[in-house]
Amino acid sequence: MYVFASTMLFLTLLCAISGGGLALYDIWRGRCDTLPLVEKLHWFTTAALLLASAILLHALYWHDFELKYVAGYTDLVLPVFYRLTAFWAGQEGSMLFWALSVALGGTLFAASGARKSLTPATRLWHWVFFYAIVAFFTLILTTWSNPFIAQTPPKDGNGLNPLLQNPGMIFHPPLLFLGYGGFAVPSCLALAQTLSGKRNEETAWFRLTRPFLLLAWPALTAGIVLGAWWAYMELGWGGYWAWDPVENASLLPWLISTAALHTLIVEDRSGKLGRVNVAMIVLTTVSAFFATYLVRSGVVESVHAFGDGSVGTPLTVFVLAGLLVALRTAFTGGAGGEPLAGPGSREGLIALLAWVLLALAAIILVATLWPQISKFWTGVPKGLDATFYNRVCLPLAAIVVVMAAFCPWLRMGGGANRKNALAGLVACMLVSAAALWMAGYRQGTALLAASAASGLVYDAVLILKNRAVFRSPSTLGALGAHLGVALVTIGIAFSGPYSGDEDMTLAQGQSGRIREYTATLLDIRSGRRPGYEYAAARIEVRKGDRRLGLVEPERRVYDKFGAMQFSEVDTIPGFGDEIYASLLGFDGEKRVVVKISVKPFVNWLWIGGAMLCLLPLLCLRGRKSGSPGPGQRERNPSA
Amino acid sequence: MSRGNSTSLHLVAFLLFLGGTGYLCYSGFSENSIYFLNVSEARAVSADKLANVRLFGTVSMTDAERQTGDPAGIVFRLEDKDNAAQAILVRYAGAVPDTFRPGAEVIVEGGMGRDGRFTAKTLMTRCPSKYRKENRKG
Repeated sequence: MYVFASTMLFLTLLCAISGGGLALYDIWRGRCDTLPLVEKLHWFTTAALLLASAILLHALYWHDFELKYVAGYTDLVLPVFYRLTAFWAGQEGSMLFWALSVALGGTLFAASGARKSLTPATRLWHWVFFYAIVAFFTLILTTWSNPFIAQTPPKDGNGLNPLLQNPGMIFHPPLLFLGYGGFAVPSCLALAQTLSGKRNEETAWFRLTRPFLLLAWPALTAGIVLGAWWAYMELGWGGYWAWDPVENASLLPWLISTAALHTLIVEDRSGKLGRVNVAMIVLTTVSAFFATYLVRSGVVESVHAFGDGSVGTPLTVFVLAGLLVALRTAFTGGAGGEPLAGPGSREGLIALLAWVLLALAAIILVATLWPQISKFWTGVPKGLDATFYNRVCLPLAAIVVVMAAFCPWLRMGGGANRKNALAGLVACMLVSAAALWMAGYRQGTALLAASAASGLVYDAVLILKNRAVFRSPSTLGALGAHLGVALVTIGIAFSGPYSGDEDMTLAQGQSGRIREYTATLLDIRSGRRPGYEYAAARIEVRKGDRRLGLVEPERRVYDKFGAMQFSEVDTIPGFGDEIYASLLGFDGEKRVVVKISVKPFVNWLWIGGAMLCLLPLLCLRGRKSGSPGPGQRERNPSA
Repeated sequence: MSRGNSTSLHLVAFLLFLGGTGYLCYSGFSENSIYFLNVSEARAVSADKLANVRLFGTVSMTDAERQTGDPAGIVFRLEDKDNAAQAILVRYAGAVPDTFRPGAEVIVEGGMGRDGRFTAKTLMTRCPSKYRKENRKG
């Protein structure tokens, strides 16, 4: 059966190469004879990848340890939920999942009416790029990273590391891959329309692929937010972002795609920034591959020991080729657009906002690669610690939020559209900054970010006063996403610089203090649950005389993981301070050593993050993907 | 707005942004960059370069011991990943991560003392990756 699965992967590779080759041949001849065949081949590639995926899932479900992959990431006691999601637990499976999401995206697009509205030339170019991506994945899957390698089956598998047996970690990788894969179709179509030169005869690529953009971005966002939440709840160090290279890698496509979504608004409304948008969307996809390269190649040292480097070289080649195609197409494809209005206009401010986001991506990229870059002039490599990122990136991120707060009150072509609202916004931001200053929150970046967030909330309230907004899901979606940004900003601005933690050594009945909170150890409990032994400290937390609740952090020793101990944190959630407890261990005198942390406003980060992932989906109910926007109407009155 | 006027304004905004960001980056790069070294590289460089450094290595299979009666702290030998003979004694007083154990790949950040001991401010073990299985009991 596994030979059959490998054959499916190999046939997909052949189909993708043939499809792309035939399309290129037709483009070269200036004909479209093979287009019907080229367009049918994707059905086969998707079906073959679906079949291969089904075979892998079947093997995971039935504990078939003959498959090296299944034995590597599951065992007999692993619950079925974690067994099936081990599909993307390893490098080989995750590559298959990513390939499948790209293939399904291509098929969905091909099956939609949007494809039929395109000229044959654009369709041919689209398939060239699309099949290039599919061929790249299947080349990796059939050579360096094949999930269907068989072996003599062991009695039991290795199992999944307990730290990874967490819902956050289960959904974090596939959402990232869905996000990465979702941008493939828009990128291919953007390049295709530019290269075919038929753009003026067709509906713009970003309108045709609007559902892909509106699904990929929230998926990518959700992947990042879930990763941060997992780190916070599972790793026990009390933080959610460490500026590690692997974390930074996922930010690159997110920052570029966020910039692209905003500059696309300018093109949608006024038909400007066309070439910039093509470059940005292709860069988004290229940066997704680059993120995978950073994660899997081992080029930079990271606390995440991903990958064995086997796919590093092919990914490098693919990323460089993609970058070349993106830049060449963007700078040579089509004529330059109309001039952009000044920075005092909405389109100008959006362009600046996009610049800042791109600058952030560039800084994070250079800083992440700094240990490699510094080797060019020194034998002793230098890197950058978290202080660098907090010092450089957070102020820039705060400026982005400030810009976002001002955008709604500026006209596209320049000037304020509601001067009172603009004045109100400035007043709101100044008052909130002053109030925070007086309340003792005086860290500059946090102050700027929090006051800008209050500005975004002010914007939302004012916009929602207009009842007509409720009839536009698209506007509500965008508004909700920006409210999400405001809450995320508040969460980071306060939980970052104003958190506190205390390591306490407590005997039964003893108390320790952190800020205005008292933690008292009630008792220590130990026992056994399926698969592991545990010891838990029951700690009562009080604020003054008021009992806030109990935290019961645990340490666990899993049967499959030797003497390693795993911490299970516990929290007392709150909209203000959250109490976070992590059991560090026991000393020789029956005392527990526990880390108690106070995390102000941290839950706003998760609430805002959830809004940021879910509310943009409302935009899917807005304008139909093929319908023209005002910009196109302006340029083409007949549309 | 005329094309020239708009371009000039964007250019001014861009230069202002570039200046501010450039200053931020310059000060960040000069003040927050630290040496990233393997243990064997750290053993080879002069002591002045080890005042603030990030070290990559493997916890020795022997000699790792908790500081007496204190789960939040440990002293261990950090070996080079490729050459176990090259090692540095590391002292760490904070919370020891779950996945810390002999043989684990770790990253420590701190400075070398005059006694030849490395005092770590942070201790990170490599994440139990989904994409490798060396960190398991097998």
